[in-house]
Amino acid sequence: MTLLPWKRAARESGPQTSVFEDLALPLLPSLYNVAFWLSRNPTDAEDLVQETFLKALRGFTTFEPGSNFRAWIFRILRNTYLTSRTGLAATRTVALEDELDDHRNESGTALYPEGAIDRETPERNLIRLSDRAALHAAMEKLPPPLLEVILLCDVEEMKYREIATVLEIPIGTVMSRIARARTALRGELQVNVTPREFRA
Amino acid sequence: MTDHLSPSMLNGLADGELSAAQLAVANEHLAACPACTSNALYQSLLKSATAKAGQRYTPPPQLQERLTRLASSGLEAPGSGTGHRYPQQWRFAWGWVAAAVLLLVSASTMMVQRTARKAEISSAEHAALVTEVFDQHVATLAGSLPPEVVSTDRHTVKPWFQGKLPFSFNLPEGLPRDTALDGANLTYLHNQPVAQLLYSIGKHRVSVFLLEKPGATRADQLPAEHAGFHVMDFSTDELEGVAVSDVDPARLAELVSAIRQAQTGR
Repeated sequence: MTLLPWKRAARESGPQTSVFEDLALPLLPSLYNVAFWLSRNPTDAEDLVQETFLKALRGFTTFEPGSNFRAWIFRILRNTYLTSRTGLAATRTVALEDELDDHRNESGTALYPEGAIDRETPERNLIRLSDRAALHAAMEKLPPPLLEVILLCDVEEMKYREIATVLEIPIGTVMSRIARARTALRGELQVNVTPREFRA
Repeated sequence: MTDHLSPSMLNGLADGELSAAQLAVANEHLAACPACTSNALYQSLLKSATAKAGQRYTPPPQLQERLTRLASSGLEAPGSGTGHRYPQQWRFAWGWVAAAVLLLVSASTMMVQRTARKAEISSAEHAALVTEVFDQHVATLAGSLPPEVVSTDRHTVKPWFQGKLPFSFNLPEGLPRDTALDGANLTYLHNQPVAQLLYSIGKHRVSVFLLEKPGATRADQLPAEHAGFHVMDFSTDELEGVAVSDVDPARLAELVSAIRQAQTGR
């Protein structure tokens, strides 16, 4: 039986909508968390996630079944963020520095201060890492390109290849950004821990 | 042994990204190098601590509700034929619109009998306006299309109308309990461009139309009700507003009051 075009569309869209719902809604907490970290305020985060859902829903027909939906929708979120007001401002602020650092660190040198960890005791390291407020402050100081890579790697537990797909950068750049982000976090945590906390 | 593990090796170790061969080399080195063992341990602890600290924000229930509704509504790209997916809903909606038109025509007829000629014209205009407003709201609900500007932020929604409307308006900073701005559309009433502001009060959708005030003033304010839909209007020196929804009239009145106060500052 040949269906009229609109009847065919109606038949196809039902299951497709259900599939989208099943795939996208469980990712809402992760998408909102990343959106909030990047945009740094709840209103922008809500708008970012809502726009991501709309774009994903509109473009769902182009999504290949069986491929990585999480990477696909996170890439939409990231691209939406980049074209948002906060994303554009952040990109303008850090782009040049980011590019320069990428080149400097490709050799893999100067990523860690010489002997920075060796001078610290395991107890001190643990105290710093258990200080949630200090970690939040350190993460907030990361520039967006480093923050997003840490969020995807550590919080979302994505593999390097998946992160490269989301951010549309080579795996080598993913690795160098992760290294720089952790160096920056480590440096911030060493600076921010107060003597009071050591005495505690 | 002089060469320590490189940063990429240490990160790869913490992230589980090393190949079997790389892992064997790293393990062999760690067995003999306390400095790298300390570094590797710290990297793992840092990753774990960052993972926990990074899970910081949870989506508000109203966003979850809205996106669940959006995902289940089956929105698809414009032009994909989904406009034809709700023939029964449209028939249902148009039935109510027809009923509303009849009701409003009756109301207008009564007004004509009781008031002077000027008031008669004004009331007819009002009735026509309410009909159009009702029509627009039902079309918005039945169409399941997203607003032209999707935002909960009044500082995004208001500027979006720049250059689209021959007037400006204010959006309230504080909204009544359980009320949220969903976005807005540019639409037309009486062939004039107007702002259609879309709000949610709980699970009820509300359309608030803001239009430039015409030269003649209306006789009075008429809260109208048609088949469960409430229509409320208000006016300021510059603007007229009409709100339509099936929400409880008292809660609709709260939103209308907030929007009116945003225009007058009182």
